[in-house]
Amino acid sequence: MKKIIGLIVNPVAGMGGSVGLKGTDGEMFKKSLGLGAKTVTPARTKDFLTHIKNKQEIIIYTAPGKMGEEHVKTFDIQLEVIGTINEETTAEDSKKIALDMLNSGIDLLIFVGGDGTARDIYDAVDSKIPVIAVPSGVKVFSSVFAVSARAAAEILDAFIKGTDVTEEEVLDIDESAFRKGKLASRLYGSLLVPNVRNFLQAGKEASSTSSSSIENKKDVAQYIVEGMDHEILYLLGPGTTVKAVTDELKLNKTLLGIDAVFDGEVVGADLNEKGILELFKKYKKKKIVVTPLGGNGFIFGRGNKQFTPEVIKKIGKENIIVIGTKDKVNSLGCLRVDTGNFEVDELFLGYIKVIIGYKEEMLMEVKC
Amino acid sequence: MLKETIKLNMNEMPYLPPEKVIAAAEKGLLELNRYTNPEDLELLRELLAEYSGVNKENIILGPGSDLLLREIVQIFSRNRKIVMLSPSFLPTVRSAKQFANKLVSIRLSPPDFKLNQEVLINELNEASLLIIDNPNNPTGKVFLDRETVGSILKDENVLFVIDEAYYEFSGVTFADMIKDCPNLAITRSMDKAFSLAGARIGYIIAGNSFLKELSSFYIYLPQSSLYAAREAMKNPGYMRNNIEKIVEEKERVWKKLHKLKVNVYRTSTNFLLIKTEIPDIAGMLKDIGVLISDLSNQISPGFIRVSIGKPEENDIFIKEYMNFFDLFNHNSEK
Repeated sequence: MKKIIGLIVNPVAGMGGSVGLKGTDGEMFKKSLGLGAKTVTPARTKDFLTHIKNKQEIIIYTAPGKMGEEHVKTFDIQLEVIGTINEETTAEDSKKIALDMLNSGIDLLIFVGGDGTARDIYDAVDSKIPVIAVPSGVKVFSSVFAVSARAAAEILDAFIKGTDVTEEEVLDIDESAFRKGKLASRLYGSLLVPNVRNFLQAGKEASSTSSSSIENKKDVAQYIVEGMDHEILYLLGPGTTVKAVTDELKLNKTLLGIDAVFDGEVVGADLNEKGILELFKKYKKKKIVVTPLGGNGFIFGRGNKQFTPEVIKKIGKENIIVIGTKDKVNSLGCLRVDTGNFEVDELFLGYIKVIIGYKEEMLMEVKC
Repeated sequence: MLKETIKLNMNEMPYLPPEKVIAAAEKGLLELNRYTNPEDLELLRELLAEYSGVNKENIILGPGSDLLLREIVQIFSRNRKIVMLSPSFLPTVRSAKQFANKLVSIRLSPPDFKLNQEVLINELNEASLLIIDNPNNPTGKVFLDRETVGSILKDENVLFVIDEAYYEFSGVTFADMIKDCPNLAITRSMDKAFSLAGARIGYIIAGNSFLKELSSFYIYLPQSSLYAAREAMKNPGYMRNNIEKIVEEKERVWKKLHKLKVNVYRTSTNFLLIKTEIPDIAGMLKDIGVLISDLSNQISPGFIRVSIGKPEENDIFIKEYMNFFDLFNHNSEK
């Protein structure tokens, strides 16, 4: 008997990422359009649908148009459209459709979006049915999400064959605080997800503020600064570990944004993709400095979407410096990359060096 | 709180050495005003050389293998980077951090702690001091085979130190390879297998590339330690019996924990590695008098290492662990 799967795509999720808006909740969507942001969910949804192995064993109930129908209809999957949506979709559309699907007797609900979409789905279905969360938002910090669109397809295949479910967290990130450089989160609720541990991401963990961790960050920063070349443009990613580098340089840093430093000066603050690519015209040699996201180990694709696949391709893997404290690195099984472009993600497969102290490096495996 | 603390945190042998060895140590106490006789030191070197199947000239004595490893790090890392696995024996990691010009660790990630040998060999692309504890502490895994060791040693730019502190438990050694491979050194200890942790006797089985600089490292061991070690080496039968007992007991404990659905790893040492969901289990067990090692800072939160003690000690550990496990589950369900 075929499984009935609900699918809701948030068409605006993730649009703020490349333009450096740190979210597309509410009015930020319009702002992102003004800045030239492109939709990202179609590619994510396509990647997800492409990699489902058991397409003939499911019936997809999906929302009309861009919230699902137009993505699914190009695949050889039995399809039924549920409900209606407004032309300009909002959170209310996601909630309403989710509730309609729940009442239609679906076995599992898939949604494509970020933390905001996860909250909408939680509001609608709570823990009445299991869900699969395909990551596509600017903020994807909740542990309910799969590590990538392809991993989400693997989870669905496991669910079709039969797997137990587990509770995972939905976080409520304060987006206005986030834009001001503060990552404030609280537990919003829990959703049931198929228990396929390797394909689920761990939730974001706060940076350690212990004195040893602060000292460790200083050691890392000192080592980085000593090795800085005056002819290279350094793009510094978000996070307190990277901020320690600018502290060492006595420069200001956008805590949750990307800044550019050249020859001891800030030459770009809170940059988006466009700003980064502009700098590339002026500076030939460049490097990225990033730190893995605590708890789940993402070095690209979570919290730093301004580093788009195009930016990363132009920089090259050999010019990416990963830094992290020992506590953070020890808490991670591996590093992860989910840029939305699998070709770029594949560049990182294997091992990469993480600077974890003064003249101290750790070789860590990167998985997609 | 238990009447007596149960020590399952230092990987010691829970059994005393035989009377003969204790009597030898006591004899040493009667000569406390004297330095050890060089001839007695030479005799111990001879016994250890015979035990290890190498020449006496290749044996360097020292007060514990951790200090010998520290010495090796200090001397041989001057113009080399140090390459290690992470996690590794903590005192060696600390020495490496203190003295290395550059330290590169290869992360062994849970749950399977696999070593990517290609990554390891690629990292040895410049003058390096490679230090690997085999079996590894704290995972208890054997990572090296003769083919890998031989392949690494072909590169003369690499000095390779294998810490075989748990050799008697694993049965795996590369000591015979020092004859043909001057860039190999093995460190060993009498602390664990020979029940002599309190005597602190370690030794290096050193290849010729190490010997020149280590030959000046001549230590007058404490009289009691030297006499005890010498007597132990003359009567290694007790050690073999104890190893057999510990290995059997480890199997019993593993099976019992496994049956209780505890996530416990197979090891080639005298300790077990456990992944637990119970927060601060090491701290809670300590509060009632059972000492184990918390590996949060070495592997990741939730990993603990438990030495194999006497059967009655191990049973207390299992009982108390399961009590905390039930309590944790009960609280989680609330």
